[in-house]
Amino acid sequence: MNIAFKGEHLLPGQLGQFFIVLAFGSALLSTIAYYFATVNKNPLDKSWNKLGRIGFRINTASVVGIGCCLFYIIYNHFFEYHYAWAHSSRNLPVYYIISSYWEGQEGSFWLWAFWQGILGNVLIWKAKSWENPVMTIVALSQTLLSSMLLGVVIFTRVGSSPFILLREAIQAPIFSSPEYLGFIKDGNGLNPLLQNYWMVIHPPTLFLGFASMVVPFAYAIAGLWQKRYKEWIQPAISYALFSVMILGTGIIMGSFWAYESLNFNGFWAWDPVENASMIPWLTLIAAVHVLIVYKNTGQSYFTATFLVLISFVLVLYASFLTRSGILGETSVHAFTDLGMFWHLVIDVLIFLAIAAAAVAARWKELPFSKKEEETYSREFWMFVGACFLGLSCLQLVAVTSIPVFNAIFGTHAAPPNEPVNFYNVFQSGFAVVVTLLAGFTQFLKYKNTDATKFYITTVIYFVFSLLIGGVIIYYTGIYHNHWIYSVLMIGAVYSVMANAKILADVFKGKIKLAGSAVAHIGFGLLLIGAVISASTSSVISINNTGTSYGSEFARQGNNPRENIMLYRNEPVQMGPYLVTYLTDSVALPNHFFKVDYKRMGSDGKVKEEFVLKPNVQANRKMGLVPSPDTRHYLFHDVYTHVSMANIKFDDEMTGEGNGGHDEASDDKNYDPPILHEVAVGDSIPYRDGVIYLKGINKNATVQDIKLKDNDVSVGAELEIHTHGNVYKSEPVYMIKDGSSFDFARRVPDAGLKLRFSKIIPGKTPADFKFEISVYQQPESKKPYIVMKAIEFQDINFFWSGTIIMVIGFLLSIFRRNKELKTA
Amino acid sequence: MKKGSILGIVVIAIAIAVIISTYSKTSSYGSFKEAMTSAAPLQIVGHLDKSKELYYDATKDANYFSFYMTDNKGQECKVVFTGTKPQDFERSEQVVLTGQMSGNEFHASKILMKCPSKYTQDKVEVTEYKAKSATI
Repeated sequence: MNIAFKGEHLLPGQLGQFFIVLAFGSALLSTIAYYFATVNKNPLDKSWNKLGRIGFRINTASVVGIGCCLFYIIYNHFFEYHYAWAHSSRNLPVYYIISSYWEGQEGSFWLWAFWQGILGNVLIWKAKSWENPVMTIVALSQTLLSSMLLGVVIFTRVGSSPFILLREAIQAPIFSSPEYLGFIKDGNGLNPLLQNYWMVIHPPTLFLGFASMVVPFAYAIAGLWQKRYKEWIQPAISYALFSVMILGTGIIMGSFWAYESLNFNGFWAWDPVENASMIPWLTLIAAVHVLIVYKNTGQSYFTATFLVLISFVLVLYASFLTRSGILGETSVHAFTDLGMFWHLVIDVLIFLAIAAAAVAARWKELPFSKKEEETYSREFWMFVGACFLGLSCLQLVAVTSIPVFNAIFGTHAAPPNEPVNFYNVFQSGFAVVVTLLAGFTQFLKYKNTDATKFYITTVIYFVFSLLIGGVIIYYTGIYHNHWIYSVLMIGAVYSVMANAKILADVFKGKIKLAGSAVAHIGFGLLLIGAVISASTSSVISINNTGTSYGSEFARQGNNPRENIMLYRNEPVQMGPYLVTYLTDSVALPNHFFKVDYKRMGSDGKVKEEFVLKPNVQANRKMGLVPSPDTRHYLFHDVYTHVSMANIKFDDEMTGEGNGGHDEASDDKNYDPPILHEVAVGDSIPYRDGVIYLKGINKNATVQDIKLKDNDVSVGAELEIHTHGNVYKSEPVYMIKDGSSFDFARRVPDAGLKLRFSKIIPGKTPADFKFEISVYQQPESKKPYIVMKAIEFQDINFFWSGTIIMVIGFLLSIFRRNKELKTA
Repeated sequence: MKKGSILGIVVIAIAIAVIISTYSKTSSYGSFKEAMTSAAPLQIVGHLDKSKELYYDATKDANYFSFYMTDNKGQECKVVFTGTKPQDFERSEQVVLTGQMSGNEFHASKILMKCPSKYTQDKVEVTEYKAKSATI
């Protein structure tokens, strides 16, 4: 099997593979060194610490090296590498090479390792006395991540390397030829859905969020390990806030991406992959609250530690869910298994074991509080809130893990039939409790509060929220839906109002509270937007015209017919809009459809008109891939996507330009012609309108044909009236050198081809008749699109709430960091 | 009783309620035979019968799509879906339907399909390349 393959570039791959092994080795070295640095009793001996730092820095440099090699390979289209072949192609713009990086699992592991490397270096720089124990954990996590990329065979294949060659990855006879590369002209290309600018920034943000969760985990372990039960809290709060902020932003970015460019029918679909990213977020946000409780009162130490620890274990569990292929039957978006199932399981178990062992070893020393919290204390209700966040997480874990339980117990349970409704109702229930708590807990003080004063403020604000919420519920029509949404609306309004009061106090000088008030207001607004748009979104493209397939089918009626059919230039009434599919334009690989919307007032005049351009990629490998286009208003959005169109595939489009049109085969695209003998001024009715013969042009010219004296060339001036549009066309009849020809004219917008096929002479010129052949496109050949349109209410609250929440997190981080410095 | 214990009991009670309701809501993967007798909607895993007709004609009805599926027990049934044909349906390796029987047809309210994994896809691609190079 020693074939000298031609044209392969093996150096970047070998270099990359070297970096992978180096990254793994150096991370392992760093872990061991930091471990001994931690257990070392001699405080003056810095050698282990030095070794740990060197190891970690080599690791970071190697991870960067891996990235550079991979970029070089993809950028230069070295398709002898499987990763480049599978995830990119020659015509991929440079900025999407970035996205092709994380289309595959290996690339996303790399991204995770990269961020963790950066964070590790920040910790080396900032952590001071915490460096050794904290970095032991971070380096261990880095070791495990690097091992995912190894792709080396130790008993079985460990990890999956991005530098594997195509001929190694795939078995095919073609690879026995030394010149096989000559046949591999292009890569598979990037999934069209990922060719979107959100895909360039969403995964890095999300993975920074995931990666950063190791830091609070490492601090919690370090706190237990070093018996510094109180001190770890302060830095952990800052890092946990950072994680929650970044991960939250990443999740919402994903939701914005789904809303703007995927046909998910909305911003959140409770897909297992989406849930997987939300699960650790929920526990960590609960952890942040309990950490603050512990810091202020010394209560709930165990809960705080537990939540921090479980959050990171859940991050790993989530990555197991999405990467091991176990979600197969329940999710469309999960990765397929790369043979790393057990590797991922071991990863989860290692960290679970570390967490359990650390807590068990120190169980007797843990600072359990003897005193019970006061009922009128902030800490008690923050604790309750954290419990409910935990419950909400539990519900997500329980449902998302159904396939895991099936695999363990050999059962065959299927996820709920109506998952979206199921989750919405359940999660709304938890959210109600959380929003109410996020509201009135702000009126409480730590330790104890004057009950009467508290009740008065709480009740006043609650009554106001009831009124405002009621108005919103009435006007948006939420009450038509499940009652829980109305309750949640009131809860969310209450949360916003109560925190607005706290914010007002901030301006009176209580600056410290700004972060929490702003973040909670943002959270409330986010929920208001989510509740309104999820419970009142309505499909406006209801089709009532479709041919019925027997009464049985129509009677079923459980699924409204949510797609409408638009032929080009034939206006259709859709909800309040008169929509017309005008034209399409192609900017490969995107195929844009221009759809005109008109909204008429009661007087019949056009009140509003706009054009949306949803697009579709007709990709040979992926089929039709639609991207929606949305008309944004301040308080609602009209969201449309094309679900079907009779367009050509990319590769047919590019080949089309040079091939001439063959008349005979072109006729096949039309129904058999109908001949009409008409005089000037006559009209020809046809299926979609009327054609008028306006006149005869005696001096018609046809490009590239020179006429002699005896030749005749006349054009029929035709005017086509169809669906309120007027088109002009001039087919030409010609006698040249004694033979007659005619030149047909196509009117693509009207789906017509017209020929001036004969002149029937009369006694006087006025008696002349002209034969016009009308070719109509059959309905199925006429350009059409099938479109779905949904109206979303108040989705802007959702987005703006997110931004406000992030600002709140930032303020909190600044505050906690200040405390860290002054402490 | 201490507040903490009351809270603990409440939280545990809700947790149990969550788990029970989750598993009472789960449906089961069934077969067409079971669907014949079942009144409630259920989910069926199977694969597309590629030798039979896939019917979708947007010009007739943009919301009618029918095909034949063989479930995991080997029974075949006509399936009708009220909606547009999912992209790339022909290439699906496995199909999960949610819906119920109506006469002799299975009316699906949801289709989830699984496309071939990357590795098997790769093989197909390369053989295609080979065919091309042979004709040149």
